[in-house]
Amino acid sequence: MSGPLKLGFMPLDDAAGLIVAKALGFFADEGLDVELSREASWATIRDKVAVGALDGAHMLAPMVLAQSLGIGSEATAMIAPLALATDGAAITLSARLGLGPSPTGVGLADLVAQRRDMDASLLTFGVVFPFSTHNYLLRLWVAQAGLDPDRDVRIVVAPPPRMAGLLAGGVIEGFCVGEPWNAVAVNAGAGVVAARGAAIAPGAPDKVFGVTRAWAEANPVVLQALLRALLRALAWADSPENREALATLLAEPQHVGVASDAIAAGLKHVVFHRGGVTRPDPAQAMWLLDQMRRWGQIAPGADVEAALSVYAPQMHDQAAVLA
Amino acid sequence: MAEGLAGVDPLEVRHRPVYDEAEAAAFAPDVVVVATESPDRDTIDSLRDASLANPRPVVMFVDRSEPGLAEAAVRAGVAAYVVDGLAPGRVRGVLEVAMSRFQLMNQLRKDLDKAKADLVSRKTIERAKALLMKERGLEEAQAYNLLRKLSMDTGRPLGAVAADLLAFAGVLKGDAS
Repeated sequence: MSGPLKLGFMPLDDAAGLIVAKALGFFADEGLDVELSREASWATIRDKVAVGALDGAHMLAPMVLAQSLGIGSEATAMIAPLALATDGAAITLSARLGLGPSPTGVGLADLVAQRRDMDASLLTFGVVFPFSTHNYLLRLWVAQAGLDPDRDVRIVVAPPPRMAGLLAGGVIEGFCVGEPWNAVAVNAGAGVVAARGAAIAPGAPDKVFGVTRAWAEANPVVLQALLRALLRALAWADSPENREALATLLAEPQHVGVASDAIAAGLKHVVFHRGGVTRPDPAQAMWLLDQMRRWGQIAPGADVEAALSVYAPQMHDQAAVLA
Repeated sequence: MAEGLAGVDPLEVRHRPVYDEAEAAAFAPDVVVVATESPDRDTIDSLRDASLANPRPVVMFVDRSEPGLAEAAVRAGVAAYVVDGLAPGRVRGVLEVAMSRFQLMNQLRKDLDKAKADLVSRKTIERAKALLMKERGLEEAQAYNLLRKLSMDTGRPLGAVAADLLAFAGVLKGDAS
């Protein structure tokens, strides 16, 4: 391999695995020269990994499945050998909706009904990507409130760092996004958290470390070294005694670039390592495929087997033995 | 863009720093070219799936008929979305112009970023050096050598070591900012 490995990430608390592994030398300990690249959009991460401009990245688990199925982009066979975080997402509603300090789905349903009677416009919610756990969590929550996510509200896509601003500006009335962007909206007084991902679908898969299958097959030794370094970094990030240092590190402008108190507030909800969450369990891929099917993103005849093989728990387990 | 679309009549090219869905819906462009470094990309990308939100289907142009073009465009930092029906040859022209412009702009931006970072780093090192000279009574060369040793021992850039030193000095003096 020539030159440093290039790994991409989005500015989110759950990019901690990559950021910690680089900053604290876990990659270097494995003899890996890694360059991190902060990216502006998920679509760009997906495309850069597909064409090899990035060797691997912090990716949305359902985006990786969709990419392998050729939905929303050219088909690229992908591998997800490691889950980077779980439970870090939340639904935040605009404080202006007047649904109180802890809004409920029932409150939202009442508001939607009132607005319908007044012929007011549909409430607009932001999610981070069509193929994202955030889209599915929001839809589940809205559906649990007895509403139809495709008819009773409007769902748009916006990048995580812009959510709080869109909410404060009144462009959207709510969003589902990973931390620290809920904490940022709450700290700014613009938003109120209505539901945590952990309460809607506990342990739902969120971010994975993704590489192309071709890259994984061409670089099995490097991949194992990356996974060991990332596993150690995730264990470090999950230790309560390291959380303050983690918040400071993530707050740096080249990482997430948000005040460390907002980062720290968001980190309380993210699980990086404990409870075996790093293992990419095919049952989770199945859950995601069910969501994709439920919301009409994949056809009934889609090659589910191919999508399931994206999750590579055996690569994880091999690395975990030595990490 | 106009260069790549030479000969198309009527032709109107609009540049916007931020994607405006309402304007795009009203203007109904035949092709949307976006920098992959733009945070708006996911929004535009998602419109392909949201037929309700946008009555005009946008399709990522780069398809199998032009092998290598998608890769070249991604590496150059360009993504293009065109409405079905614009002749592929036209889009190729647009993309080629966009790619050469983006490469030039990216290079300029990188050079500027690097120059800025170098300047900040140099100032930080100067301040750390001055602190060491004052607090430890070192000569300038000794202070610099100490910083360089810290940098080599920790495997971190000189600027980062200097920034840490200044931060710690602030904390020790009770200035937590």
